[in-house]
Amino acid sequence: MNWRRLNNLLHRDIGYVAVGLTLAYAISGLAVNHKADWNPNYRIEKTAGQIEPIGARDRETVTAEALRKLQLTEPPRSAFRPDPETIRLFYEHATYSIDLPSGAVVVESSRPRPVLYEFNQLHLNTPKGAWTIIADAYAVALIVLSLTGMFVLKGRHGISGRGAWLVGAGVLVPVMYWFAFVGTP
Amino acid sequence: MARFLSEDWTPMNRALAIALTLSLALVASVEADTKKYGTPLTLKDTTKVSAIFAAPATFDGKRVRLEGSIVGVCEERGCWIALSSDQEFQSIRFKVDDGVIVFPLSIKGRTAVIEGVVSVQEVSVKAQIEAGEHEAREHGTTFDASKVKGPRTVIMVKGEGAEVF
Repeated sequence: MNWRRLNNLLHRDIGYVAVGLTLAYAISGLAVNHKADWNPNYRIEKTAGQIEPIGARDRETVTAEALRKLQLTEPPRSAFRPDPETIRLFYEHATYSIDLPSGAVVVESSRPRPVLYEFNQLHLNTPKGAWTIIADAYAVALIVLSLTGMFVLKGRHGISGRGAWLVGAGVLVPVMYWFAFVGTP
Repeated sequence: MARFLSEDWTPMNRALAIALTLSLALVASVEADTKKYGTPLTLKDTTKVSAIFAAPATFDGKRVRLEGSIVGVCEERGCWIALSSDQEFQSIRFKVDDGVIVFPLSIKGRTAVIEGVVSVQEVSVKAQIEAGEHEAREHGTTFDASKVKGPRTVIMVKGEGAEVF
């Protein structure tokens, strides 16, 4: 087997293996690039409601009265009073925040965005541990893909022809951007 | 190597590929269940949050272990949680470096034990307004800067490890 055939076989098979991870990382990349505009991990919704004011003072009584007035049968994981006029009831995917004197209620529900949440956690290496090894292996695979990719074709469409111009252009994009818009620290 | 890369995959090649995929999936699923975050906790004695609020200067720079309900989680980066105090109307923020630990929103309301170093800082009016506006943006609400009357002492714990029950 000559070197180019081995190069092309490596490029082909590593490319196949990398498809899943590349899609996960690329889709997550698009999502987290725009986190200033949206929350890429969670769908957070707030709804306002109204119950009768709660006059009780101690946390246990306030909690019991709030549950009764909200018609909640399941006890919260925990309750917290950030100030004397507010109580928050915590459930797995919802937090009830009640203004005791007025009875105004804000229910904030949060649910992970399906698939995107998992992609983002893997992309940002939240699991750590073994995923670090997998992510490192993927990074090495990308390096191999980029290097072998340059030598797939020979002739005027290969690295000695138009390939050289396109590789050069690809390298220049980050270099020029850095010097034009970022600069040295 | 050359045979593995060849056009004709043997049953052994297929078995290896499937075994590799399954083992990676297994590792991922085991890790997803963990409720320990960051580095293991080392301290045995738990400090009361109220004790820190009562004498912040005494605890400034000291390593502590705290326990409380999780009453807030950073929605944007998962880089902090707020723990309730043993006294009403008090909570303390446990801050971790971005990306070192990412706390999920789903842990809100559960009990956490954390370990870290107490930090007591005087926060200027400008910094309070910036933080308030940032938090308001995060929650889709508004922030009334006129409520900031002067510099404020902010107490938090900076750490690397937590356990959530």
